[in-house]
Amino acid sequence: MRKSLFTVFAFVLGLSLILSACAPKTPTPAPATQAPATQPPATEAPTQPPAPTVAPTEAPTQAPFVFGMLLVGPYNDRGWSQAHYEAGKYVEQKLGAKMIYLDKVNPADRPGTTASQLAEELVAQGARLIIFNSDDMKDESTKFAQEHPDVFVIMASGDQVWKEGKAYTEIPNMINIMGRMEYGKMIAGCAAALTTQTGKIGYLGPLINDETRRLAASAYLGARYCWTKYLGKDARDLAFKVSWIGFWFNIPGVTDDPTKVADDFINSGYDVIISGIDTTEALTQAKKAHDAGKAVWAIPYDFIGACEEAPDVCLGVPYFNWGPEYLKAIKAAAEGTWQSQFVWAGPDWKDINNPDTSAVGFVKGKALSENAARMVDQFISELAGGLNLWVGPLKLQDGTEYLKEGEVATDQQIWYLPQLLEGMEGQSVPQQ
Amino acid sequence: MEDLTLLLGFAGIFAFSAPLIFAVVGETLIERAGIVNLAVNGTILLTAMAGFAVAARTGSLVLGFLVGALIGAAVAWLIAFSSITLKQSQVAIGFVLTLLTRDLAYFLGNPYMGLAGPRLPSWHFPLLKDVPFLGILFFQHDWMTYLSYLVIFLGWWWIFHTRPGLILQGIGERPAAAYARGTDVNRLRYLYSVVGGALIGLAGPIYSLSVKAGWKGTISGLDGLGWIALSITIFGGWNPLRAAFGVYLFGFLQWLGLVLQPRLPGIPSQVLQVAPFPLMILTLLLVNIGNAEWVERTLAALPDRWRHFLKRLLRALRANPPASLGVPFEPE
Repeated sequence: MRKSLFTVFAFVLGLSLILSACAPKTPTPAPATQAPATQPPATEAPTQPPAPTVAPTEAPTQAPFVFGMLLVGPYNDRGWSQAHYEAGKYVEQKLGAKMIYLDKVNPADRPGTTASQLAEELVAQGARLIIFNSDDMKDESTKFAQEHPDVFVIMASGDQVWKEGKAYTEIPNMINIMGRMEYGKMIAGCAAALTTQTGKIGYLGPLINDETRRLAASAYLGARYCWTKYLGKDARDLAFKVSWIGFWFNIPGVTDDPTKVADDFINSGYDVIISGIDTTEALTQAKKAHDAGKAVWAIPYDFIGACEEAPDVCLGVPYFNWGPEYLKAIKAAAEGTWQSQFVWAGPDWKDINNPDTSAVGFVKGKALSENAARMVDQFISELAGGLNLWVGPLKLQDGTEYLKEGEVATDQQIWYLPQLLEGMEGQSVPQQ
Repeated sequence: MEDLTLLLGFAGIFAFSAPLIFAVVGETLIERAGIVNLAVNGTILLTAMAGFAVAARTGSLVLGFLVGALIGAAVAWLIAFSSITLKQSQVAIGFVLTLLTRDLAYFLGNPYMGLAGPRLPSWHFPLLKDVPFLGILFFQHDWMTYLSYLVIFLGWWWIFHTRPGLILQGIGERPAAAYARGTDVNRLRYLYSVVGGALIGLAGPIYSLSVKAGWKGTISGLDGLGWIALSITIFGGWNPLRAAFGVYLFGFLQWLGLVLQPRLPGIPSQVLQVAPFPLMILTLLLVNIGNAEWVERTLAALPDRWRHFLKRLLRALRANPPASLGVPFEPE
C-alpha cells in the first residue's frame, strides 16, 4: 500500500515538474515579437469596428497592425514553414506591422488542439488577421473565418474563395494565396533531365492530392521538354517515377521513411531525385551516395536556402516567396480595401528571383553544370516568352485524354489535375 | 541489375538497424540487472539532438558520439539513483524522464534545425567488402554499423559466457542469493545502468550523424523508435542475439512495405506503412503466449502428439523476464 502511494506521489510530482518545465514552451516560439503585440489590443480591441470592410483608418497611425500566423511545421524548418515565416518578417519590415505566430500546428505536435482554437488565441493576443499556412488547415480556416467575420483570414494554398473553383464558399473575410509553383517545378524537372546520366528521375512525393499531383506532373513536363528539345532524345527513354511517402514529412509508423525511399531510388539507378516533401532527405541521401563515389544529384523544395545543406549535389531549388502577396493582402486589410479573392501568383518573368515582385523563383545550385545552367536559363526565358507546357495533346496516366491537340489547359484543369500524366510511373490516386 | 537493387536494399536494413541494435542491447543489459529504463525514447531524441549539435559546432564526430553516450549514461544513472537510493518507482521516473528528455530535445535543439552538419563517412571493410554477396550485405557500410555487429556478439557473450555475466543474471533473478554470496547487488545495478545507458545514448547520434543525418526538430522522424526498442527487448527475451534478430526483422518489414507499395497497388499504402508495428505486436504475443495459464490448460486437452509438438515449440519461443525485473533490492 505504502509503495503504491509512493509511486503515485512520485508520478504526480514528476509530472508537475514536467508540466512546469514545459509550460513556457508554448509561448516561447514567438518571444521577441509577441511582447509588444500584447499591450495595445487590451484597450483598443473593443473600439474597433466589427465588419472587415469598414476597417479603421485612424488606428494604424498609432499602433501597428497586428497579424497572426499559424505554421504547420517549426518556424525554422528551412522549408515550407520558414518560407512563410520570413514572408511575415518581410511584411513587418515593409509595412511596420507586427507579426505574432505559433508554429508546429499539427496533430502530432499539438494533439487535441485545433488550428481554429490556436487562431483564437492569436486573436486574443491582438491579431486582426490570421494566416493559415497549410493545406491541412483548410477546413479549420473556413470554420474560423465563418465564426469570426470581423477577423481577416488568409488561407495559403487553399481554394475556398475561388469563384471558378470546385470548393467555392462565399467567405468575405478570406483571401486564398498560392504561388504558381508549377513553373518552379518545370524548371526543376528541366535541370534534372539535363543532368541525369541514367535517364531516370525520381520524384519524392508527400501525400496524394490535387496540389502534389499537379506539381509532380509539372516537373515531368519540364523534364520531358528539356530532354527532347534540348538534348534531342526520345521521350520514351526518360523514366520518371513518383514515390509517395504519405505525409509532408516523416512520421514513424504513419509514413514511409523518406530516407529509405531516397536510398531506394539511388539503389535502383535513379540519379536525380526531385523532392516534393518538406524535409531534405533527398538531398542528404544524395550527398551520402555522392561521398561514396556515386554520381547522384538532388533538387530540394520550398525554401530559398535549401541547397546550403549539401551544395555539392544540389542542382537548384524551386522556392516560394510569399512576401509580396502577403504584403498586398495585409496592407489591404489595414487600409480597408480588403476584397475576398483567390490569388494564384506567378513568377515575375523579368526576374524570377526578385524578392519584391516574384511569388515563385528558382535558384540554380552549385552542382548544375555550366552547360546545363545555360540551357536552364534558356528554358526560363522561353517560359517568360510565353512557352506553355500545359498544352495538348496530353494524356492522363490511364490513357484517357486530358487535353486535345492544341488545347490549352485552364487554371481549373491544372489545379484539379485528376491523375498523373502518361509517361509518369507511380500512384495517381490515394488508396482508400 | 534487379538483383543488385535487391541486395542493396537488404544491405540497407543492416545500416538502418544499427542505432536500434545499440539501444536494444543497452536496454537488455539494464533489464538483465533488474532495472527498467523506460526513458529510451526520450534518450534517443535528446542524444540525437545533442550529438548533432556538438558535432556541428566542433566538427568532431567523435565528440558527438561521446556526448550522446554521456547523456544516455546520465539519464540511466538518474533512474538507477531514483530507484536504488531514493527508493522511488522506476516506471514512474522512467516515464517522466522520457517525456522530459523528449521535450528538452525539441526545445534546446531549436537553433540547430536544418543545419548542415558532419556525417559519418562510409568505410568499406578491406578484403571483406569484396566477398561476393556478403560483402555488399554486411561490409560496405560505416563504422557504427560494424560496431553494432560487435555489440550484439559482445553482449551475448558477456551475459551467457562469462563469470560476470552469470553474476549479472543472478542480480536480475535472485538478488538476495547473489548478495548472500558476496555480490554488491546495487553497485552492479548502477554499473549496468550506466553502461547500458551509454549504449542507448549512442543510438541517437547514430541517427543524427549517420542513418538519418541532421536535426529537424519534431519532424526528424525519430519519435517513437525508442518504444520500438523497448518492445524488441522484450521480444528478444533479454538475449542480445534474439533481440538483434527482432531488430532486423522490424527493419526488413519496413523495407518490405516500401518495396511492395508499387507492386501491390490493390493494398492501401497506409496498410503497408503501418504493418510492421502490429506484426511486431503479434510476434510478441506469439513469443510470450506460452507463459499464459490458459494456454497450458488448452494444450492439456489436445491429443498427445500435438501437445508435445506445440509444447516444445512454445518452450523454444518462450522468454521469461528476469524474475526481479523492476523490483528494488534492499540488503538486509
